[in-house]
Formats: sequence, structure tokens, C-alpha cells
Amino acid sequence: MKRRTVIAGVAAAGAAAAAGLYRFTDIFVKHYPPTPYDDLLVQLVDRQQAARLGAKLTGAPDAGALAAQLRAGLKPDSLKAAAEADASAGRVVEVDGWLLPRTLALLSALASKV
Amino acid sequence: MTALIDARTLASATVLETDLAIIGGGPAGISLALALAGSKIRVLLLESGGMNFDPAIQKMYSGTETGTRYAPLDAGRLRQLGGGTNHWGGWCRPMDAIEFEARDWVPHSGWPFPRQTLEPYYPRAQTLVEAGPWIYDQKGDADNAGEGAVLPLNGGGLYTSWFQFSKMRADILPTQFGNRYQEDLKRAPNIKPLLHANVTAIRLAANGKQVERLEVATLDSKGGAGKHFTVKPRMVVLACGGIENARLLLASDDVMKAGIGNQNDLVGRFFADNPIPRDVATVVSFSGPLAPFYGANQNLANGAIMRATFAPTAKFSRAARVGSSLSTIESPVDLDETGKAAVITTAIALGVDASNAKAYSLGCGIELMPDPDRRLTLSGDKDALGLPRLKLDMRIADDDFVRFNRTLTELGRQLLASKAGMLRINCHTREDWMTRMDWGHHHLGTTRMSADPKQGVVDGDLLVHGMGNLYIAGSGTFPSYSASNPTLNLVALTLRLGDHLKKVMA
Repeated sequence: MKRRTVIAGVAAAGAAAAAGLYRFTDIFVKHYPPTPYDDLLVQLVDRQQAARLGAKLTGAPDAGALAAQLRAGLKPDSLKAAAEADASAGRVVEVDGWLLPRTLALLSALASKV
Repeated sequence: MTALIDARTLASATVLETDLAIIGGGPAGISLALALAGSKIRVLLLESGGMNFDPAIQKMYSGTETGTRYAPLDAGRLRQLGGGTNHWGGWCRPMDAIEFEARDWVPHSGWPFPRQTLEPYYPRAQTLVEAGPWIYDQKGDADNAGEGAVLPLNGGGLYTSWFQFSKMRADILPTQFGNRYQEDLKRAPNIKPLLHANVTAIRLAANGKQVERLEVATLDSKGGAGKHFTVKPRMVVLACGGIENARLLLASDDVMKAGIGNQNDLVGRFFADNPIPRDVATVVSFSGPLAPFYGANQNLANGAIMRATFAPTAKFSRAARVGSSLSTIESPVDLDETGKAAVITTAIALGVDASNAKAYSLGCGIELMPDPDRRLTLSGDKDALGLPRLKLDMRIADDDFVRFNRTLTELGRQLLASKAGMLRINCHTREDWMTRMDWGHHHLGTTRMSADPKQGVVDGDLLVHGMGNLYIAGSGTFPSYSASNPTLNLVALTLRLGDHLKKVMA
């Protein structure tokens, strides 16, 4: 077998393995079971940490109500802008004492409920 | 050169005549004496203690307390020449202009004059407390004092303000007025400092409008009553501190039955201090360790010692109806799992790298709302010289904490808006606050100043309402309190009194 063919084969196998690891394990990227709120939760880079934080939000409504509230204002890929706008406008919410932009607090609370 | 005279060496029944008797040799009494040094006014400075701490003398301060837990009455003040400056921290900051105003959200607030009235006296006060060049709002070269993150607050409700620190003779921190100025007092030919001289009563003429004489006593070597003598002054300035001034006025009740200056039942009321609870919040700097001027004093090349603090703007104070406060970074802290989650989640959402984030505890000094029921009264007990002891009914309203949390919320918002960091509020219940509570030992308000005799014990010139020759100096005259440490401000106020006395006694 030609040396070039061997290298190409090894590279292809490596790429397939990496793709598999990426898609089916949490080594490169955390995977979560599908939820009805993934259109919102996809904006959280680290959903696990957000859920840990969001679980401390007292008096949060159920997931459906939270999602409805968030969908009314949060556009796709706009969490950063929403957080900045919340901070500028004084829309901050206390979660376990931590002052958070309101949208981030609600999104984190949603993450904790799925 | 006059010596410091030990009153125990005087013969009993001595009568001393003087133009002005200053009762109390703390920062107010000494500043006033120095302001009058070299004038034609003969000044007798009466100090209860000596040059050093004496437990028997200090014991005369003890009293009882009810209500909110507070420092014992014989702690937080010192009965020796220099008074409280023998144990102060040297923190200096001028009061803000808004703190002189009648603020409709701060009951009973408002000085009889604006801050501009005190401004001519601040430079000399700054010199007396030895806090270096006046650069409070300019921060000097503090930014160059070391590397580290600066928290931009971007024009919100709080701004970065600065403390300066008293520094005595280059290497001793801070200035102790007794040690520092004893030679100046001795050098002034018109000043006679008398140590171990305890004023036990202010005696009025029969019309109740003039001080006729002061009764003075010494302690003997066993801590009991020693010699008794009399001072006959033309004018008197009471400068024993916010607690003891009220005690002497209330106890001197032979002519005015409710006590001197107490015809409207105000003496001893409105007692206040600055609560300085620790670790009231956690501040996170996303970009790493903060610049050193936040958490520690910085020695600048120009001789100033400075430290940053977060203060509410006048605009925010009005809009949010908060009292004054000064919040200061204390020390690094570790975050729990929720704290780490908060930092990671928030920084990612804001698009900020927080991989080097550092957390700190935040302490504060708070201005209490004036409260007439926070009050000193005389108790049935008496001290070694027969002077009634005091009872303090101490209170803090929950609203004082609620207001300050509004200020913290704004600081947290500003940190998020500037993407510099974030903040956790650590106190939510009264118990949270009280377990973290410390006190500034700033004794305020008990002989409050007002142009209206029904609202104040002294007028804008510090003259006791209804009296012709009795003045009061010190922070006990502050009708509303500020969060700034009072020493620099009370010295400035006392220097103004010095100018006034020079005029009226000429």
C-alpha cells in the first residue's frame, strides 16, 4: 500500500473519531437532552453552570412561563445585547445575592428547570 | 513657655479666672486652643486625663445600654490629652455638599449653613490632622501606585472617591493630637493646659442665661474624689465629645431643671454613629486583581496617603433617596460553587474573559437616619466624682439597611454595565447585618445644631440656644451625619468657632 494512502486513511479515521467524540461525548462540547426550550437555551454557552446559578432564583415561574417571557424579548443570538441593555437600564435581578442582568437570570432559571 | 499643669498639684478651693475655658482636650479642644494661640484671649484648657491612658480615669466613661448591641460607653473614646485621636484610624474625607442640605428623604436633616461656609477652614484642618496635600477628588498619582484592575463606574450612581490619611511626623500614623501638639500648647503664652481636671458641673447665674463658674475635681490616687476647685470664665466651650457633652449638660441641672440647653428636650437625643459592617458585599473584578489603592492605603510621592472608596453621587442620592455611604474594598475572598457559576455565566453572557477573575469582600460606612429616640439619658449610677452616668438607648432602623442595599444594587449594576465585574449583596436580614456590625465610634448628634431652638441645642455659631456664653464644639453638633469620618470635619467646624470667638471676645 502506498504511504500516501495510509496517511490519508489514518487522517480520515482520526477525523471520524473526532467527529464522533464531538457529537456523542461531552469531551469537546457539552450535550444536553433535547428540550422544548432549546431555541432559548442554546444561547447559554455553559448551561450546567447557568442551571446551578438559576436554581437559586427564588420565586421563578415554571419553565413554560419563563420561556414565554424570554421569547417575548430575547432574539436568537442576542443574549449579550440583552444583558448589556438590562445592565444599562437597571433591570438587574438578585440570585442568591448576585446581581445579574434580568434576561440572564431568567434564562439561567429556565436552564435549571429542564 | 507654659507647662502642662497637673491639676492635682493645685490647692483645694483654688479659683482660676480666665477668658475662655475649653472643657476637653481632644481634637476639638486642642484645635480651638491652637486657633486662639497668640491672641489676647486667655485660654484655660481643661482635660480630664493626663498624657497617658489611666483605667481609673477611663472608668468614669462607663454607662449602661439598651436596644441594639453597641460598643460599651467606655470604649471608643479616650479620656486623656488628645482624646479619641489616641486611637483613631486617621481616615479623613470632607463631607459632601449634599450632606449639609435639608434632604426631604432624611428626616431632621440639614445644617444651618452650606458646605461653602466650612470650606475656608478645611485647609487649616487638613494641616492639623496632617493628611498631606488636599487632593481628595483628584486622587493624586494613585493610579500609578501599582498595577492592577481599575473599576470604571462610567458615570452611574456611584463614583470612585478618595480617603486621605493622617500621618504624624512622617513615620507615625496617624496624628495623635495630644502628643503632636503639646509643645505648641506649652509655647502659646495665652494658653494654660490643665491635666487631670474633671469638670463635674457647669454652674449658671440665677437667670439661667450665663455660665458663672465650673466646678472641677481631681481623682485621688485611690480613684476617689481628690481636690475640688473652681474656674470662673467669661466664655466656655464644651468639647468633651458627643457623649460626654450631653452628660455634662444634663447633669448640670441646678438652675435649668431639665439640664442646660435642654429646654426643648433635645440634649442627648439624635445620638448617632457610623455603622461600619464588614463583608456586606462581594465584588468580583473580571480582569483580575484590583489596583492596590482599593484595598490598602497607598503612599504617594507627594506625601499623601490615599485609598479609594465608592460614594453615591448627589444626583443618585436624590433619585434613589439614599443616605450617604462609603464602600471600601477589604480583602480577597474565595467564591463558593454558586459564586463561580455566577461569574462564569455572567462573564460569558457579556462577552468578557473572566478566567483571571478575583473576588473581594466589601465593607462600608453608613450614614444613619437621624432618630430622636436613639438617645442618651442620665442613669441613677454615679461615677467616682459624683457625676451621674449615662444610659444609651441604641437603635438602627431596618430602613437604614434597606437604603444602603439600594446603593449596593446600583454599584452592582454599574459593574455589569461597564463589564468590569459584578457584585453579590451579602446581607438580607437584620441578623446578617448585625453579625457583621462594627462601629466607627463617631459620636454624633446629641447637641445638634439648628437655627431653630426647637430643633437644635446650639445655633449655627455653636452657641447653646438661650445661653450667652456657652458654646459646644465637636461632632455632637452635627445635625445630620455624613458617612465621612468626622475628625477632619469637626476640626474645620471648630476652627470656624475660633474665628467667631475672636470676634465676639475682642
